[in-house]
Parts: sequence; C-alpha cells; structure tokens
Amino acid sequence: MSTLKALKSVNGFKRTLLEGLLVLVVVAGAIFFKSTLPGGELRAVSTIFMFIALSQAWNIIGGFTGYASFGQVVFFGMGGYFTAAVMLHLHFSFWLALPLSGLFGAVFAVIIGQPLLKLKGHYFAIATLGVAEGMREVVINLPDITGGGAGISVPIAGTFAKTQYLGDGGFYLLFLALALFALAVGTVVSRNKFGYGLRAIHQNEDAAAAVGINTVRSKVMAYSLSAFITGMVGASYVFQQVTIFPERLFDVEITVLMIMMVVIGGSGTVVGPLLGALGLQFISEYLREHFTNMHTFILGGIIILAVILIPQGLVNYIREGRRTKNYSLLANIRRYRL
Amino acid sequence: MDTFLQVTAYGLLQGGLLALVAVGFSLVWGIMNIVNLSHGAFVILGAYIAWEIQGWLGLDPFLGMFISAAVLFCVGYIFQRFLINLIVNGPVFITLLLTFGINMILIQGMNLFFTADFRSIQTSYGSNSFEVGNIRIPLVRLLAFLLAIVITFALVAFVKHTRTGISIMATGMDRGAARLMGIRARHVYALTFGISAALAGMAGTMIATIETFDPSKAGKFTLMAFVVAVLGGLGNMYGALVGGLLMGLVQGWAGQYLSGTWVNAIAFLVLIIVLVFRPNGLVGKAFYAARVEI
Amino acid sequence: MSTVPILETRGLGRRFGALDAVSDVSFSVNQGEILGVIGPNGAGKSTFINLVTGHIKPTSGQVLIDGKDMTGQAPWNIARAGVARTFQIVKPFNGMTVRQNIAVGIMYESHGTNRLSVALEQAEAILEEVGLGGSGDRMPGELSTADIRRLEFAKALATKPRLLLLDEVMAGLRPTEIEPSLELIRKLKARGTTVIVVEHVMKAIVAVSDRVLVLAQGKVLMQGGPREVLADPRVIEVYLGHRYAKRQKGNA
Repeated sequence: MSTLKALKSVNGFKRTLLEGLLVLVVVAGAIFFKSTLPGGELRAVSTIFMFIALSQAWNIIGGFTGYASFGQVVFFGMGGYFTAAVMLHLHFSFWLALPLSGLFGAVFAVIIGQPLLKLKGHYFAIATLGVAEGMREVVINLPDITGGGAGISVPIAGTFAKTQYLGDGGFYLLFLALALFALAVGTVVSRNKFGYGLRAIHQNEDAAAAVGINTVRSKVMAYSLSAFITGMVGASYVFQQVTIFPERLFDVEITVLMIMMVVIGGSGTVVGPLLGALGLQFISEYLREHFTNMHTFILGGIIILAVILIPQGLVNYIREGRRTKNYSLLANIRRYRL
Repeated sequence: MDTFLQVTAYGLLQGGLLALVAVGFSLVWGIMNIVNLSHGAFVILGAYIAWEIQGWLGLDPFLGMFISAAVLFCVGYIFQRFLINLIVNGPVFITLLLTFGINMILIQGMNLFFTADFRSIQTSYGSNSFEVGNIRIPLVRLLAFLLAIVITFALVAFVKHTRTGISIMATGMDRGAARLMGIRARHVYALTFGISAALAGMAGTMIATIETFDPSKAGKFTLMAFVVAVLGGLGNMYGALVGGLLMGLVQGWAGQYLSGTWVNAIAFLVLIIVLVFRPNGLVGKAFYAARVEI
Repeated sequence: MSTVPILETRGLGRRFGALDAVSDVSFSVNQGEILGVIGPNGAGKSTFINLVTGHIKPTSGQVLIDGKDMTGQAPWNIARAGVARTFQIVKPFNGMTVRQNIAVGIMYESHGTNRLSVALEQAEAILEEVGLGGSGDRMPGELSTADIRRLEFAKALATKPRLLLLDEVMAGLRPTEIEPSLELIRKLKARGTTVIVVEHVMKAIVAVSDRVLVLAQGKVLMQGGPREVLADPRVIEVYLGHRYAKRQKGNA
C-alpha cells in the first residue's frame, strides 16, 4: 500500500516517465501474448481492443463533455463504408483509406454537430440516434456506391487488392494500435486545458461560457475528435470483416455497448471505460458461449443492475469511496432515487 | 386520384393508431422526462397477451384489449415504481440505459416464451370492409382508428377532470410543489408509466388485428413513438394525435410514391428537423417550460 | 486614464413576448469606478447583467466595451474582452475541486497559461485573496453559503477582469461575512478594476459605491450618489409602494 502511495505522489515529468514505462510493458506483454493465442482467441481479443478504442472515443463527447451521443455508431458505419467504397471503387490502399475514413467521420461530425450540439440532454441523444438510423437508410438507398442492402465487399484478392489481408495476427496488432491511440488521446485530453474546458461545459455550461470557454467550438471539437477515432475503428472493422451490411455497421447495439462500457466503468475517466470494455466483453463472450439462448436476457439484467447499483461507474465509485470513506451501495441507490 | 384518396385514407387510419402508440410515450416523456426505449416492447407485449387471451378464452381482441391493458398497467406500474424510480434524478443516459436494458429483457423474454414466429390475431370480421365511393375501408382498421381517437380524448378528459389526472399533470409541472401539496410523486410516476404501458398494449392489440407481429417489430414502434411525440410536443396528447395522423399520412404517401426504405429515412429526417427547429413540437407551446425538480 | 467609458449601453432593451424586461437603458461606467445597481425585485437587474455579458441577446440597443460595439457577442468573447461576472444562483463546476474551479478560468483567460499545473499554482493566490485559503481541495458541494459565494467571486477573478459584475453576492450573508466582501471590492478598485455591484443589501451599496443606478420595471429610474439616491422619494416609492411614499410626503 505504501509503495502505491509513493508511486501516486510522484508528479510531473517523473510521473509521465513512469506511466510511459508502464504502457511499454503492457504493450510488450500484449504483443507477446499474441503469439500464444490460437486464431479464434486472437479475434476475441481484437474485439476487446476495438471496444477499448470505441469506448474511449465515446467518453470524450459523452463522458467529459456530458453530451450523451446515442448515435455514435454513425461514425463507425460511415468510416467503414468510406473505406469499403474507396477500396472497392477507387482501388485505394487500406493504409490510405484508414486516416481518410477518420477524417471523413470528423468532417461529418463538424457538419451535424453545429445544429445538434445546441440540443440538450434527451433531445441531443435522440437526435443523434435519428442521424445514425437515417444514415443507415441513406446507405441502403445508394446501392451504386455502397452496395445497398446486399452489402459490400472489400477487395482482398486479385488485381484490385492493393493491400494484403492482415490476417488474425495482423488485425490483433492493428486494433491494439487503435486502442493505444485512443487511450493516448483520452489521457491527453483528460489532463490538458481542452479536457478541463470540456468538463467545465459538462458541469456548468453557463459558467464555462462566462469564464471564456468557446462552448460551441469545444463541443464540436470533442465530437469531431471522437468521430475521428470511431471512424478509423469502423474502417478497420470493415477490412477485417471483408463483407459488411448496413444493419451491422449501423447497429444501435454497438453504441449501447460503447455507452455501457463507459458508464459501468466510470464516465469521465480514462481507466473507467478501459475496465468497462474489458469487463463487458468478457461477460458478453462468456454469456454467449454458455447461455447462447438467454445471453441477451442476462445482459439486459446486468445492465439494469449496474445502472441502479453503480450509476456513476466503478472507478468513480471507488474514488469517491476512498475520499468519503463511504462505500455504501444503498447510499448509491438513494443518490438518484425519486 | 382514386389511388391518392385510398392511400390518404389508409394513412389517416394508420395515423390514428400511431397516435395511440405514441400518446403514452409522449405522456411519460412530458411528465417525467423519461424516454422509454422499451415502449415498443410494451406494444408487442400487449399484442401477445391479447393473442393468448383469444387462444384461451376465445375473446374478441377488441374486448381482450382491455384485459391486455390491465395486465400491462400492472407491469408498467411495477417497473416504474421499483426500477425506474430509482434513477429518475440521474443524468440522461442512465435513464436511457435502464429502459434499454428493460427493452432487452422484454424482447428476449418474449422471444423465449412465445418464439419469434410471426403471429396475428384473426377475427371473423377481419376481412370485412366497406366502400366509400371508390375507396375501400377495412372494418378492423376503421374500428382501430375510432377507438384510438376515443381513447385519446378519454385520456385528455381523465387528465383534466379527475383528481388523479390532475395530480399527474401537477407532478409533471412542478414535482416539488406537488409533493408539498401531499401528492405522492413516486406513486403518480408509477401510475403514469402504467397508463402509458396500458395504452401501448391496447395499441398493440389493435395493430395485431391488422398486421403480423413478432418481437423484432418492437424497435419500429419505439421509433414511431419518438417521432410522433416530438412532432406533437411532449406531454401534449392532442399533439400526439395530430402528429400521429401526420406521420401516418407521410408514411402512406411516401410508401406509395417513393421507393423502398426512403420511408424510414424520411421519418428520421422529420424527427431531426423538428428537434432542431421546433423542439416544442408543431402543436402548442412548451408544455412544461419551467421545470423545477425536487 | 482613458476617457472612453469601460462600459456603455445605449438604449439597451430586451423583450420577452409581451414583457419588456429591460427597456431603453442608457448609462456608462468609467474605468476604476464602483457602480451600484439597485432596484426592487423584477426590476430587470439580472436580465441587465445577462445582456451585458452576452448570456442573453438584446432585442434593442447597444453594448459598448471600451468603446467597441460588443452587442450580442457570445459570452466567451465578452469574457475575453476583460469582463467577468458572478451568478446570482451560484454556478460552480460541481465535479472539480475549488482549486480546479479557479484554474479553469485562469487557463482560458486570453493571456493565461495553458498548463494545468501552472494554473493550479496561480489559483492559490486567488484563493487567499477571497478568503478560501485552505479550502483548495474541497468540493463545491461541501462548502458553506459564504464559502460558495467566495468561490463564485474567485472564479470571476480568475480571468483577470478589468470589469467585474457582481450579481447579488451579499444575499444571505451575515454582517460579519459582508465586511470581507466589501474589503475585497475596495481592493479591486485600488487595483484599477471597475466593479458593478448589483445588490439588495443597501448597507453594502452605500459603503462601497461611487455612484448608484436605480432600475425599476426595466427602466432607469435615476442615477446619482448613494445617499442622494436612497433618500429620493421616487426610489422609496418603487421599493415601498405608492401609498407609503404618499404617507411620507404627507408627514414631511
């Protein structure tokens, strides 16, 4: 315990160095881990990395800024379809399509963010959901570009395949890189001026404006940043799956999973969504294997319990508990109760 | 011209039903500021219950619908009182997640219990229709439409002229003040949700006589409820009626004159436009503009 | 000292539907002045502040800061022009410590540091100044009324304002708590900061204002020195009613 305290009290440059070291160790471990896993497991862990990235991205707009986007999957889908379209029709290499997909998502976020971020609470959530569902319909109705309801396939063989298929091991590394990128962005944002500005907007938007924070610009930037990451993840997913359909790529359940990971882990923190992603994916996989018929049922039950018992998320619960020495779950329930 | 009138008639008839689907959802959102993502599941659940009742008791769905409503009222009351009330004061996404979780267990529960087969409720008069001019109006659709209108008006009367109804409105306008007057807010919230579930169930029953239903259709009804509620203004029951009719017409015309799933895309577009430009709905002003939450 | 008033409004007005919350308010404040603003409830004092700071857009008239037209500018632009305010119903950043609350303002001030660690250090000085010396690590939810008012004050000072608008900062404070606030206002004036004090607590207004502006029903009733204004029968009338004023005149 005292070593932990000693570690925590180290500040500034030394701390960043220590953290950097920790990250290197973890990354090395992950890479080593890869060689020990069979194909199916590699894919499962890749999915965990994918959700780590997605939940970190959502946390920027939903956790820090407090604008709960219920349509976040739209950037996933649009990034994915962008990559599929340019790889198929324009014969782009994946490595070119990847950052462009992120940019595509970011630009879309800037465009729809301007009107939507003026809405508050439920209105914003529902409006973003409407955009996501609407874009899915748009994609279905543009079969020349997107293949419509019949789906679209990324070229991985033949003359048009500019990039070689990465394979399970390759995608493991790709999603790991995306997860690390998202974690890095989340960490930087949580500690810098921009991140504190976002928190200020979340905790009191009027006061934030009064101290000189351009709330419109900050919100749009946060939305756009989260869209950039989400778009790139979508692009990678599409490459991995090769053939994709609109229902899957714009599935509202992906957004809900993202949100759950952030909320259960602890919204507004970096570690929270990380834990949430790990925890929820394990639980989801476990349920899928052992209770195939009932797994949605049980997952729904878990969501309900988690939201009622620990609405502020695990990490925040622990932090507050340590500060106030009060770990009562009953007090937790009373917090939001009517 | 005949096609246009036919489509318009169908659209209106459908619209009345949509209004009934939406009015409970709108009530819950307007009074309690809760967006119930499981609303569509209640609609389908109502249909299943009525279907079961017809199977056991041979009861006509237009009568069985009241039993369905009663059952769903209890279910809704319990959910609100012992689950949703626990997080009412929390941030937006907590409520959304909770109702999404409820949605998941309801839909999966129905899948497991009733299987995912398509069902519908058959009636002896199910294929009857009559002609007005050159327009064909199916009997069940007309019955459903009329009942939906009657129920909506009954709801408005309930809310304006009964003590319970007034206490619901009061709690929606200023919960703190209502509680200071002796109104039990937890109970009122549960009542409101129960009423919403009951209405959803009635709508579901009637829908089952017109088209097939299965658990996967729940999401579609939740979405429709959103759009109509937002169009009509939250908590505004006449607004839900107007919104429903409008939506029914738009869907009918779009289905006839536009291809495939552009219909859905248009629904979303309407939703977003209304949210951005007139979040108080097309009908009426901000219903509960000054909300004081205690 | 510049001859351009630091703040000037011309015919400023805001209409809500059929109600003129503020209408035709024209006045100016010079640098280094302390202007008191009084008026009965509903006189439009808070609306007036919101119009100046950009939280509400005026429906008529102009707001000029340092002679520049800033009418209808967003609140953050007004803040960057050197204007800060407190809120009548305090608006702390609830999830941050007191020190972090102030650090946000320090970072977002136009010439302020971008680094959180530096801002947190600089926050300490402001904490001392407002009397929150040891409370930097506490959460706003734990503060007493007086302390949370101090936090509100501190947040406004964080942006190094040249013009500070105080919206009823003394409300609900005990006499022993009012005096330190007055001291702080005097210190600010000594540093060259212009202060507009909107208040109900007359003792504070008299103690600290150079001039007083009286608002009633959204309009300017009169301006003048503090004692002069408070003795004026028209002012007494808007506070205590027509009959009382008549009775006073009858007695005089």
